[in-house]
Amino acid sequence: EQNEMKVKTYSPQAYKFYIEQHVENVLKYYNQRITRQSQLEKEMAKVGLSDEAQQQMRRMLHQKESNYIRLKRAKMEKHHFTNI
Amino acid sequence: MSFLFGSRSNKTFKPKKNIPEGTHQYDLMKHAAATLGSGNLRLAVVLPEGEDLNEWVAVNTVDFFNQINMLYGTITEFCTETSCPVMSASPKYEYHWADGQTVKKPIKCSAPKYIDYLMTWVQDQLDDETLFPSKIGVPFPKNFLTIAKTILKRLFRVYAHIYHQHFKEVIQLNEEAHLNTSFKHFIFFVEEFHMIERKELAPLQELIMEKLTRKISLSGSFN
Ligand SMILES: [Zn+2]
Repeated sequence: EQNEMKVKTYSPQAYKFYIEQHVENVLKYYNQRITRQSQLEKEMAKVGLSDEAQQQMRRMLHQKESNYIRLKRAKMEKHHFTNI
Repeated sequence: MSFLFGSRSNKTFKPKKNIPEGTHQYDLMKHAAATLGSGNLRLAVVLPEGEDLNEWVAVNTVDFFNQINMLYGTITEFCTETSCPVMSASPKYEYHWADGQTVKKPIKCSAPKYIDYLMTWVQDQLDDETLFPSKIGVPFPKNFLTIAKTILKRLFRVYAHIYHQHFKEVIQLNEEAHLNTSFKHFIFFVEEFHMIERKELAPLQELIMEKLTRKISLSGSFN
């Protein structure tokens, strides 16, 4: 009966490696995203864009960020099917 | 429940058998300790500036599913029909499976059965393009947050079962620090967006309080 189960077996090593990588990536992503935002602000201040143009630039960055996490999710779901 | 968690929380990474300094193993251990110990996860769960809430909840939900799926995958040999004839989190909390769609009347079943139903059900939700669109530009359904809440509520039960019934094995496998970090991240997230009702969290309430007290009192959202 056990082998009908959809739940897969993983080694503790695989699990631990995965969590370590994941936490590292979560923190890295958090920092990088803040950096991208503040870099944009700095660049815009330097070239002196109009308020409206600034808003548009921000929207573009946010859209790009949002698309990135959507594609990441699509990839993660696929990754789930491959055995480690 | 403090007998499970006691005061070991921060001692987890003390080298147990004196791993010699300078070895690869020592580096790995130090690296793991540094990564898992860094306390920024509470900040990292916050909705980033300009991000869509649904998008953020979706990517995190998939993440937590993968983590919990792998975690359970490490203890499947200990979680059997004999060891866990009912799905429970301590004798006080017993879960019967129903998904509200194909299974309406709750079924009393073993933990491995229950968790298999649960993970299969979650996987089906995540794979459903109308619920979790993966193509750029496709909107989320109106009730997306309700769906995500149900998924997270059910995933929490796997943590609850493992903490209550399999923590011994988790320690044996030397993965308790990883479980604790993953669980902490999960709780930060569900708390930030109020994804799970308090009464659902009851089976691990003590643990949640114990692990997160300092941060909780700062945020004030969990008194
Ligand atoms: Zn079990």
